[in-house]
Amino acid sequence: MKKPSALATAVFVLLVLVCLFYLFPLYWTLITSFKFNDQIFTYPPVFFPSGIDFANFFQSSSVAHATSQTAIGSIPWMVDSTVVAITATLVSTFLIAAPAAYSLVRFLKNVWLGRLILFMTMIPEVVFMVPFFTLDAQLNLLNSWWGLALVYLSLTAPFATWLMMGFFNDVPKTVEEAAEIDGLSPYQIFYRISLRLVTPGLVAAVLLSFIFCWNELLYALILTYSPFPTGSETVPLFITSFLITDKSFAWGGLAAAGIFIMLPTIVMGIFAQKYLARGLTLGAVKG
Amino acid sequence: MRLSKTLRVGLVLALPIIVYFLVFFIYPLGLLFEEAFTTAGGTFTLANFQRMQTDPVLLTSLQNTFFYFIGSLGLEFFMGFGVAVLLYNYVGRLKTLFRTLIFIPLMVSPVVIGLVWVLLLNNQYGPVDYFMRVLGLPPLNFLGSLSLALPSIIVANGWEYSPFVFLIIYAGLVTVPQQLYEAAAVDGMSRFQAFRYVTFPSIRGVMLVAFLLDAIGVLKGFDLIYVITSGGPGYSTYLLSFYAYKEAFVYFQTNYAAALSLLFLAIIAAFVTMVLKFTPVEEYLGIRRAKQ
Repeated sequence: MKKPSALATAVFVLLVLVCLFYLFPLYWTLITSFKFNDQIFTYPPVFFPSGIDFANFFQSSSVAHATSQTAIGSIPWMVDSTVVAITATLVSTFLIAAPAAYSLVRFLKNVWLGRLILFMTMIPEVVFMVPFFTLDAQLNLLNSWWGLALVYLSLTAPFATWLMMGFFNDVPKTVEEAAEIDGLSPYQIFYRISLRLVTPGLVAAVLLSFIFCWNELLYALILTYSPFPTGSETVPLFITSFLITDKSFAWGGLAAAGIFIMLPTIVMGIFAQKYLARGLTLGAVKG
Repeated sequence: MRLSKTLRVGLVLALPIIVYFLVFFIYPLGLLFEEAFTTAGGTFTLANFQRMQTDPVLLTSLQNTFFYFIGSLGLEFFMGFGVAVLLYNYVGRLKTLFRTLIFIPLMVSPVVIGLVWVLLLNNQYGPVDYFMRVLGLPPLNFLGSLSLALPSIIVANGWEYSPFVFLIIYAGLVTVPQQLYEAAAVDGMSRFQAFRYVTFPSIRGVMLVAFLLDAIGVLKGFDLIYVITSGGPGYSTYLLSFYAYKEAFVYFQTNYAAALSLLFLAIIAAFVTMVLKFTPVEEYLGIRRAKQ
């Protein structure tokens, strides 16, 4: 076997350092979740905890001010996030994005419609915060799962449409032509043939939409947060409500909750990774 | 009137997104205009736009947003592009492991990331401060300083989103046909020349896509500011997005916030239009088939 060159070794070491840069904050979250405040605020900081203590994860009232600042305490928030994210994801991917993308690729092949979809994915959440608040208020859906899920369609539907357009573009026309000769209607071709052929795109759209909703802060903040628990706050609010209001909270418990909150999206992300790269660059690598 | 079959099927399939377009784009846009051009009482006024011209906080926010935009985009491209090129060219079997590890920050909730960076940059007990002291550098209060707070946020943001640039550019590198490199070697090109004349032209498309998407992501930035500094100290980390939020939901200046939102929308629209007009990015976004 060829001996690696000095340059290759240097690059390898550099990349290991880069990985450390990317992983260190996550490592710090993890070890902070094993500490209590008296170990967190020490100098020098503790880089390797002497023991692994899961109190911040599973105990509910061991530390002052920390009645719910544990990973377990965040579970009701995770339930809210799950309901909202799944609703918005399924509606936007299957009801809105998939048929729209198919239509734009095969039937309404207008470049301006494509540009419109693209532009809608690029509107920052902040821009529509006032109108969406009004919308939810008019529908009497403030502080509810459904009000938040409704607004989250704006986070997911245009993006999912754009992603799916790339995948539908890839479906060979000959397959559809063969199905047409067999007597299938355009809708049957869409539902029975093409939709099945873009399963990777659907998986990517579903997972990414879920992740967007799970992580979203601004709309959750303005549409569900109030001084009194409304039973619809999503996970980002679990963290921010303590950060903003209470400076003497248990960092360890919060970090433990952070671990719980990030695990589902990391697992999904690793699963969606190759489809994501493919979906985002589909147009670019063919050109 | 009879529509052609193609148009009819197309419209039926697009019906949900047409409804979406009306409810989530046209209607909110109308509301935004209505709010922006009226007083709290509902009478027509241009006062919200006149106020912008003399609003020092808006000016600060715009300057910060510009600095944040340039800094974040530069850092994310430097890191993402550099790591992708090095990883693709110099690492063998461990490629996949590295790629997966570098990808992880992108999936973590920005709120959790904010929390972590608050801990990391704590000016008494944080590990960054500790490293600086060990290296004999002066201790710095990153988040409490007027000049360092925004750069700190840029680093935190770069930590999260450089993997996005990395991911796209790496995906582009993988698709460059090996024959091109072999041909370049036969022609006697050096490694640098091969990069300049083979790799670079081949991944120009993905680079443009990464640039546009990352730029938009940076402009959207809100979460990290909210969690890490809440705009402070002073107004030193106010971004346009954060300022609009504050006006709307902390000071309840809904009409002025709507005007700020319109300004923001106009900036985004101008930016996207410029990029689409002056670069061939559209061909690579999948919304228009490339010229064959």
